[in-house]
Amino acid sequence: MKNRILVVEDDAAIRDAVLLNLQFADYDAVAFDDGKKAADALECDHAYDLALLDIMLPGMDGFELFGLMEQYGIPVIYMTAKTDSASEIKGLRDGAEDYIVKPFDPLTLMVRIEKVLKRVGKWNAVYRVKDIVVNTETHTVTKGGEPIELQPLEFDVLVALLRHKNMTVSRERLLSEVWGFDYLGETRMVDVKISALRKKLGLEDTIRTIPKLGYRLEER
Amino acid sequence: MKLSKRITLLVSIVLAATILGVSLSLLLYVRNTTLSLAVEQTQRKQQNLSTSFSEMANYYAASSDSDAVHYSLIKLCFSRFADRYSVLMRDGEVIVSGVSVDPSAYVPIDDSAYSDNTPVAVTVQGRNLLIAGSAARVSGRTYSVYVVEDVTDVHTGIRRMAWIFAAVSFGAIVIGAAAVALLVRHSTKPITLLSDAAKEIADGAYQKRVAIRTKDEVGRLGEDFNRMAAAVETKITELEERNERQRLFIGGVTHEFKTPMTGLLLHAGLLRRANLSEDERDASLAHIESQTAWLERLTQNLLKLTTSEDDIEKRPVELPELLDEIREGVEPKLNERGATLSVQCEPQTLVLNADLWRSLLSNLIVNAANAYDADAPEKPIVLSVTGRTFSVSDHGRGIPKEAQSRIFEPFFRVDKSRSKRQGGSGLGLALVKRIADAHGASVAVDSEPDKGTTVSVTLP
Repeated sequence: MKNRILVVEDDAAIRDAVLLNLQFADYDAVAFDDGKKAADALECDHAYDLALLDIMLPGMDGFELFGLMEQYGIPVIYMTAKTDSASEIKGLRDGAEDYIVKPFDPLTLMVRIEKVLKRVGKWNAVYRVKDIVVNTETHTVTKGGEPIELQPLEFDVLVALLRHKNMTVSRERLLSEVWGFDYLGETRMVDVKISALRKKLGLEDTIRTIPKLGYRLEER
Repeated sequence: MKLSKRITLLVSIVLAATILGVSLSLLLYVRNTTLSLAVEQTQRKQQNLSTSFSEMANYYAASSDSDAVHYSLIKLCFSRFADRYSVLMRDGEVIVSGVSVDPSAYVPIDDSAYSDNTPVAVTVQGRNLLIAGSAARVSGRTYSVYVVEDVTDVHTGIRRMAWIFAAVSFGAIVIGAAAVALLVRHSTKPITLLSDAAKEIADGAYQKRVAIRTKDEVGRLGEDFNRMAAAVETKITELEERNERQRLFIGGVTHEFKTPMTGLLLHAGLLRRANLSEDERDASLAHIESQTAWLERLTQNLLKLTTSEDDIEKRPVELPELLDEIREGVEPKLNERGATLSVQCEPQTLVLNADLWRSLLSNLIVNAANAYDADAPEKPIVLSVTGRTFSVSDHGRGIPKEAQSRIFEPFFRVDKSRSKRQGGSGLGLALVKRIADAHGASVAVDSEPDKGTTVSVTLP
């Protein structure tokens, strides 16, 4: 089952972009432009795994909404334009899982969301693309029900591509997500792993090479 | 060396020298006077003695007298006038004497020194003596008549007086020096106070003042110092306030830029990296366009905010024409919101910068239109000009009392979300205030919640 995410953001441009990014990564996202409306909607439907909240919101601000989130057990990541530490500390002290300062990188947002979901134990460990199922808990990959053997590095590169499905990910970014830090090494290794993945999983058309940018796993 | 010490030392030296000089010369004068008095007395005494003796002796003596008779007579006559200091001698032999010294050893007398009886001062056996002597002739015989005055006591007195003078001078010098030190310390204390205060002020204690209450030059210096310190404090406070306003303003500007920047970056990222459908691409581009337009509006307003009185050009402007232009300019926005504008104005000519004034009034009119709830049945706005006062009135939500003092601050919004959705940059009223200031005009707000708002701008 897909992870369900609540987005409350009054700026249409940011809201639409975040929604698109979430959909690409196979999240089920619901968005509101007003804190009060979101609070009202939560009364009948609060089955969310995570909430992305702006702080300055019409109707009801992000900090006020936090009380409701706590009540329903929904972890919160704040999206804030406020760089002053006071509001950051307030957000985190109240129990928010994380915050991200505008302007932010959408790929980083995806990584943070995944980390929070894993921390609170709501992470849906299974990615799907076409007839391929990738289980990050058991580290197994099946294609049409048949298990496929992947090297650990190939597996991690595949997960990183799936995490940012439909978004181009640079070789450097893939390396850093696989190793967890900025790796200034051989990006050619990534090319080798990608071609192995394409071959083993029959994803020649799905994993696209985007000239000068990187790789993109497409499925729409 | 400290100034106070230097002055004290200098004055003390001068004081000591003066006291010593005066004492010494006084002492010398007294000594000389006393001594010369003694000399004079001795001389007169000797003269009296000599004259009286010789007159009496010559009166009674006769050349026919035998030696024995003569000497008896002489002794008798001398004793008649002598005292214990008188000496009568003849040819080096003492005839009558009350003293133990031989005066002829110190003042030898021969016939030639007949009338000179100037006393001679000698010291014999630790005694100070004045010896005056002269020759006296009686019946062809020459006698020496001496007066030996003991002036040891006079000398002792002078010496004692010298000691007293020394003690008194020393005391005077010590007391004088102490007084000088105190006086100097007292009069340089304000300088120390000023110096300490100046140091404290330099270290940032701008509220520091000195307490110097004297009515002299130092007191005036203290007053001037305090006035200077007050001026510095006022200026510093002003600068700090300005700095704080600037800091808040820059913080506000940064914050305002962040939202459109975030939208732009996210959509640019999507367009570049994502696998978008045709519709999604169009939507992203539309967002980029609107966010850029917002940023452009923000920067335009920021630019206008830097307007100051020095760099605007004012010209005579015909009033109904300017207001008509403004009405044309805001009409689309008013139509969009369903608001109606009525203009009340008598023809007149005012001197102002038409572009900036248009911007000022347009801002106020759009604000008035936004003051109505979206579903209000009627949204009347009145722009009226009376004399030199322009006012824009609405019957909208009004401004809460506690917010009225802050509405001219950049990025202050009474309702943060509403005005943002209406496309406000948060700079509109700040701009109005700045333009009014640049014209030397005053701005007044009269507003009551749920009744409406009137903003009046009065040219000087």
